[in-house]
Amino acid sequence: MTESTMPIASIRDLRIHFRSKAGVVHAVDGVSFDIRRGETLGLVGETGCGKSVTARSLLRLNPMPPGIHAGGTVEFRGAGELPVELTGVDESTLRAIRGNRIAMIFQDPGKALNPGLTVREQIAEVFYQHRADELLDDIGLTDRAGLVRTLIAREASLRSRWIERGLLRVPPLRAHRAALRRAVDDRVTDALAETQIPNPRAVMDRYPHELSGGMRQRVMIAQALACNPDLLIADEPTTALDVTVQARILDLINDLQRRHDTAVLYISHDLSLVRRVCDRVVVMYAGKIVETGPTEDLFANPSHPYTRGLLAAIPSASHQRGALAAIEGTVPELVDPDPGCRFATRCGFATPMCETTDPGLAPVAADHEVACFIHHPVPGGVGPAYEKAAT
Amino acid sequence: MTSVGSHPTETGRRDVVLAAREVAKHFPIKEGVLQRVAGHVKAVDGVSFEIRRGQTLGLVGESGCGKTTLGRVVAGLSEPTAGAVLFDIDSETLAAYDGGSSVGDIETAHKVDALTGDAYRRFRRNCQMVFQDSFASLNPRHLTIDIVGRPLRVHKEASGSGLTERVVELLEQVGLGRQHLYRYPHQFSGGQRQRISIARALALDPELIVLDEPTSALDVSVQAQILNLLHELQQANDLTYLFITHDLGVVRHMADHIVVMYLGTVAESGPTSAIFENQHHPYTKALLGASPDVDAAEEFTGLEGSVPDPAHPPQGCRFHTRCPVATARCGWEVDDVVRWIEDEPGAAGRLAGVKRDSAFAAELAFDDAATAAVVVDAIRSGRIHASMPEAVLKAESRDSRVDVEFGAVPDVELSVRGPGHVAACVHESLLDL
Repeated sequence: MTESTMPIASIRDLRIHFRSKAGVVHAVDGVSFDIRRGETLGLVGETGCGKSVTARSLLRLNPMPPGIHAGGTVEFRGAGELPVELTGVDESTLRAIRGNRIAMIFQDPGKALNPGLTVREQIAEVFYQHRADELLDDIGLTDRAGLVRTLIAREASLRSRWIERGLLRVPPLRAHRAALRRAVDDRVTDALAETQIPNPRAVMDRYPHELSGGMRQRVMIAQALACNPDLLIADEPTTALDVTVQARILDLINDLQRRHDTAVLYISHDLSLVRRVCDRVVVMYAGKIVETGPTEDLFANPSHPYTRGLLAAIPSASHQRGALAAIEGTVPELVDPDPGCRFATRCGFATPMCETTDPGLAPVAADHEVACFIHHPVPGGVGPAYEKAAT
Repeated sequence: MTSVGSHPTETGRRDVVLAAREVAKHFPIKEGVLQRVAGHVKAVDGVSFEIRRGQTLGLVGESGCGKTTLGRVVAGLSEPTAGAVLFDIDSETLAAYDGGSSVGDIETAHKVDALTGDAYRRFRRNCQMVFQDSFASLNPRHLTIDIVGRPLRVHKEASGSGLTERVVELLEQVGLGRQHLYRYPHQFSGGQRQRISIARALALDPELIVLDEPTSALDVSVQAQILNLLHELQQANDLTYLFITHDLGVVRHMADHIVVMYLGTVAESGPTSAIFENQHHPYTKALLGASPDVDAAEEFTGLEGSVPDPAHPPQGCRFHTRCPVATARCGWEVDDVVRWIEDEPGAAGRLAGVKRDSAFAAELAFDDAATAAVVVDAIRSGRIHASMPEAVLKAESRDSRVDVEFGAVPDVELSVRGPGHVAACVHESLLDL
């Protein structure tokens, strides 16, 4: 495989567990999938299915402890770089990747933005962290050595101490500092303008609470895309927004993705949105993948009983009132789970074998894999089938 | 299903369970040390509807449109600033009220915030509420039996072992059981907690339940369980629902009649089928266009801009600032120009002052004459909005000042579009637009 066809990130047999009073919670238990270059991959599932934990492991944002990395690898291949195994890499390499090669948009922009910083400061931080050298180029301090360059370089990478900051206020140096500020402001303005914020210069000086929800989400997207990342993780980016604003934000992400050729990992519980937005879909249930495939194929032929259940539960015009196909029961406890299929307790088609043997993912069509015995050769005993349960 | 409670009620079988007439709720904005009232946020500004027995009314709109405030006013949790909420009234009396005859008598007997004594107690037990966030609306220090049993205790319906049995009966109605009696809210999942909220609302066998986004915090599979449960309970107990939600899929599934709110007023209202088949308000159309449907494949689109400040709602049609089909008759005003200036690079920050004669006429002062000329040109050329040149009476610059005046437009009233179907839009129909 050449570099351009290699997936941008490969998650292999990832296991993230959490220690709790009741025992070890198997939040993510053997998840494997690839994110391809430039695609939008949807990660779907209900609350507590492990979709956010999986995504956060790409940036190693899961708190450890109580989290335990119980196995598996996350390999990231940035454009023109050597593959990095993110679960074992040291903190400084990770910092160089976070917000630079892999960026994340969070669900609630009200909580994810720092309320004490202006929009300018929030976005400028990204440039200071990852683009310090380019900022020096911008103000023409490329090849001059000496005190000025050192001081400005430290300022540009947010490393100056109070005494150095004081020095930069002295007249001959002040001009350089002002030039640096201007260079950063230009970049921040460009980043905001990318997200179609009207009048970015005015928005820059506002605090998050002064902006509407849709505007805040745009600021967060501007921040995430400031360094033109290879992979963008969008964790339910529109759940906190109104439907009218949601459509705009999705268009925006889509448009920016196409222009920058960014891969997007789109996490959502909303199947109708995922259908609109994503190229491929991974459906998770209770810490495992139950089905994965191209969006068209998966929505046309949902093959796992859980995927079918999720689709049938969405209220639509064709449903008789009070006759929604709810999936009965609740998500099982993930403390020391049974070895079998995790959906068996709520599945209408389950056979005794489903409770003892894990079906594992196997292909049903090109690029379309399902973890269910209905579609698999059964290792022994009688497997379930849709027809049998119907009678 | 076992019936819960057979308490004596005078509320008979009057056909309209609840009617709202020009209900308004304004919140004062207080400023300074003396807490002087500087203005009002018009959260709800003249809304009328009625809910017939056994039916479900869906109340839809974006966040900030006043739907939750209206729900709270209807449930008697806050008093309306103006207008009346009439409870348990028959159609003839309501028609008489609308016609203006014996208003005083009818209000004493039916108006929620005028009820006293037994009549008020009867209203309180017959109108219950289920809130969006079940975690916040259930006391974390109380056991299920205390939470669900509290209304029974307050209204002296049951006590001792009788109370326990009634609570078990209620829990069984909502799909829980005796084993859940002595647990705290945090020991339940989100769906189960919402079931407890519903059990609490059912405890006094009410006639009306106000459901404020009851499934917004739930997963789709659990949402389906709760919606099915609500439907079963409605059938079994002859309940009437006021269903507040922003999810059009849910409201289409649950409601018989829909009221679409925008910025405190009704944009459109009608039978569910009429609203979904033929929208007469561009806002309704935009809402429908924006909500993705898992079956349909057409592109979905959003709306430009954000909801304007409800302390200064736009003139004419409140939606004209974001409307894709706005015309010169929709109420273009000074604020539209000011908003444009604030978002326009080059013009923003140059606006020194606005001297208003009315919402439609003002003198704008700028820092320099060039900006003033740019603004006048923008108004005249239709750069702010294509239909603005037609609405403007005067736009002239004198040095760094701009005199601008628009033709005054009255508020757009609701007009009849079909049986029970009204909309507030200047267009007769949106079909050919």
